[in-house]
Amino acid sequence: MKMLMILFISLVLFFANAPSYGASLYEGKTITIIVGYKPGGGYDRYARLIGKHLPKYIPGKPGVIIQNMPGASSVIAANHVFSIAKPDGLTIGTFNNATVIAQLIKVEGVRFDLTKFAWLGSAASDAVILSVRSDLPYRTADDLRKAKQFVIGTTGPGSSTHDFPAILGEFGGFDFKLVPGYSSSADVMLALERKEVDGRAGSYDSIKPFIDRGLVRPVIRNRTSAPGIEKLPVDENLATTQQGKLIMAVNAVPTQIYRPYVAPPATAKDALKILRDAFANVLKDKDLLAEAEKGKMTIDYVPPDDALKVVAEVLGQPPDVVKVLAKHIKFGE
Amino acid sequence: MLNAFIDGLFVVFQWNTFLMMLLGIFLGFWVGLLPGLGGTTTLALMLPFIYQMTPVEAFAFLLGMHSVVSTTGDITSILFGIPGEGTTAATILDGHAMAKKGEAGRALGAALMSSLVGALIGAFALALAIPVVRPLVLSFGAPELFMLAIVGIAFISSLSGQGGRALLRGILAGLLGLLFALVGQDPQAGVLRFTFGQLYLWSGLDLIPVLVGVFAIPEIIDLAVRGTSIAGELPRENLGRGVWVGVKDTFVHFGLTVRCSLAGTFIGIMPGLGGGVAQWIAYGQAVQSARTNEERAGFGKGDIRGVLGPGAANNSKEGGSLIPTIAFGVPGSSSMAILLGAFFLLGIMPGPDMLDKHLVLTFSMVWTMVVANIITVVISLFFLNYLAKLTLIRGTVLIPFILFFSFIGAYTSNNHLGDLLVLVAFGFLGYLMIRCGWPRAPLVLGFVLGRIAENNFYISTIRYGPSWTLRPLVLVLIALSVIVLFFPFMRFKGRPLAGGNVQ
Repeated sequence: MKMLMILFISLVLFFANAPSYGASLYEGKTITIIVGYKPGGGYDRYARLIGKHLPKYIPGKPGVIIQNMPGASSVIAANHVFSIAKPDGLTIGTFNNATVIAQLIKVEGVRFDLTKFAWLGSAASDAVILSVRSDLPYRTADDLRKAKQFVIGTTGPGSSTHDFPAILGEFGGFDFKLVPGYSSSADVMLALERKEVDGRAGSYDSIKPFIDRGLVRPVIRNRTSAPGIEKLPVDENLATTQQGKLIMAVNAVPTQIYRPYVAPPATAKDALKILRDAFANVLKDKDLLAEAEKGKMTIDYVPPDDALKVVAEVLGQPPDVVKVLAKHIKFGE
Repeated sequence: MLNAFIDGLFVVFQWNTFLMMLLGIFLGFWVGLLPGLGGTTTLALMLPFIYQMTPVEAFAFLLGMHSVVSTTGDITSILFGIPGEGTTAATILDGHAMAKKGEAGRALGAALMSSLVGALIGAFALALAIPVVRPLVLSFGAPELFMLAIVGIAFISSLSGQGGRALLRGILAGLLGLLFALVGQDPQAGVLRFTFGQLYLWSGLDLIPVLVGVFAIPEIIDLAVRGTSIAGELPRENLGRGVWVGVKDTFVHFGLTVRCSLAGTFIGIMPGLGGGVAQWIAYGQAVQSARTNEERAGFGKGDIRGVLGPGAANNSKEGGSLIPTIAFGVPGSSSMAILLGAFFLLGIMPGPDMLDKHLVLTFSMVWTMVVANIITVVISLFFLNYLAKLTLIRGTVLIPFILFFSFIGAYTSNNHLGDLLVLVAFGFLGYLMIRCGWPRAPLVLGFVLGRIAENNFYISTIRYGPSWTLRPLVLVLIALSVIVLFFPFMRFKGRPLAGGNVQ
């Protein structure tokens, strides 16, 4: 009898201890994070890191699985989360930050509206920089202005390696010669090493190891800053026309929501609240931060409202501006 | 240098490192066997597990897995005609033909032994190359890479079969392959080519559905039509006993095995050429080793050399592809890109330091590849005889399984219905080609080299203008491609030289 008593009390205590709010919502369920790329890339690594720690912050401790849905630079995944995934709080999507550009310039095949997603926010921001081979005499933007036919290797239009220097050259008074066609940004790095090209633009995160190694030095950045490059000149301040400045500002938007996370439109309110809180909290998680640090992944939480605001601002541009933008900013890998 | 070389070996044999390697081998074994479940994807999925490991353990685990994938991938290619990995498709041509003749055991033995030789040569080439790695890799710019692709394309003349008519067909198939490589968003202007409004086609056709379609589907149809087992109604004595014959074959044709291993290593070293290329170049070399017309005609119908060449090259290239990754921090293939992520996770900065400060670690990676392959091959040799018996199972029983794995394999490349449509379309094409007597190898060669050739041609021209054609290495490679192209005609005098203009 005494044994039964103890058992009873411990059972009561056990259930009383479990959080009641929302527990039933996610108890025994599985959340799917849809990634717009194949396994192994940056988007995938962020999703796996977040997915690993997310259950801790959701009452009921649901399982989390990662589903890779590559293709069309994430447009397939974004379309899926927008119109096929159920808004029951069990699907999260993360895809190419430049999908906002795709929607803006009306890329064929886009069937989503980014302003209608239920945003969780962004897990990071990342500066785009232009870096120059260290053995060249160009240290500042002014030095670079004097250079003739400065060769920049790129992976092609639609990537920050290409669009950033293309716009900078056109509206900043630089004489850049762009060489697109490298199959990855790593290939451009190798071309730098064998002096086939003089400079490379792109994500600060990915260039940083080569700056540390002394192969290149950063010279110009976009409006998104990062520790260590705060003092670099910002491209918008180098623009010679007002129009150029605007184009640069719009082109910088994807870098502010570098790792966007959304739920399907009209996701159930209670579920969305849980997901939003969990997303905000998981990015402060000590273990997650330690692992991110090890993997050289920047974590920099952007709240959902801020992310949505940036997106809405870009998408609200008048049609004549969009026309000009579409000429200079492309969408691709 | 020598100390580090030996220390690297001892490090691999520390019990915890060794255990990690065994675990990696076990995983890699299955990943290689199962078509579709590719080495690259598995590497990506395994990354989170290395957080708690030391660098040596982590690389023993990852490389142990990675380096046996091509070895066991050959087994699937030979037994069922499905490429177990994207890098083991060339083994099918003669390997599966041998299985159909009831010589599965011999083909398996040869594939495994040549894989081992290839892995050893690749690893030691890597070790020897360490002092000269940087200048070697840096001397190959975009123009040279373009010319390497052209040398590869020139091998079409060897992969086409004999006679003017066969050559013409080979060239046309190669051009068709180049055309398929154009599908998707082009990297120069961002234009969508041949995508027909399909989002799926933006990133181009994936290698796996194309390969599985072209090679596996026709075999499945053939098996269904014949209504027998893979080995047919042939006498069975050779089946199991052949393993040792195959092992010996590797040493009978040792020169070829070594040459193909070296070619594989070299292609691995060149960043951007990728693993799909090495096997075909090796197969082309194997065909060129034929001394008479009769010998040459035997290729594609089960010549052991057609197994040895690709078997060796797809393993030796792994040693080579580590080089740009560790020496420059620039990955040579997609699996190496993931490995680079592992370097960061472990707090190591790949680059010149790896050839200096971390030399022991670098050598431990070399040794891991060597030891992992030895273990795999020795273990596999014990039950190859049983595996060979799979070719005696009735086709009607086997077909559902092969079909299942073919479809799953294709589907895993993008998790998209489009993968299956591509598989079926290319399966149909492959079947048609066989029925009409067109060679499939040039098609695949054109497909894997198309992008590489196009991108590097574009970069060369825009960067250097026409002057790149006069760079010394480019001239050497032009000469080499001419030799490769006309080699078949120089060897067999008395054959008409019809349709010789490949480029």
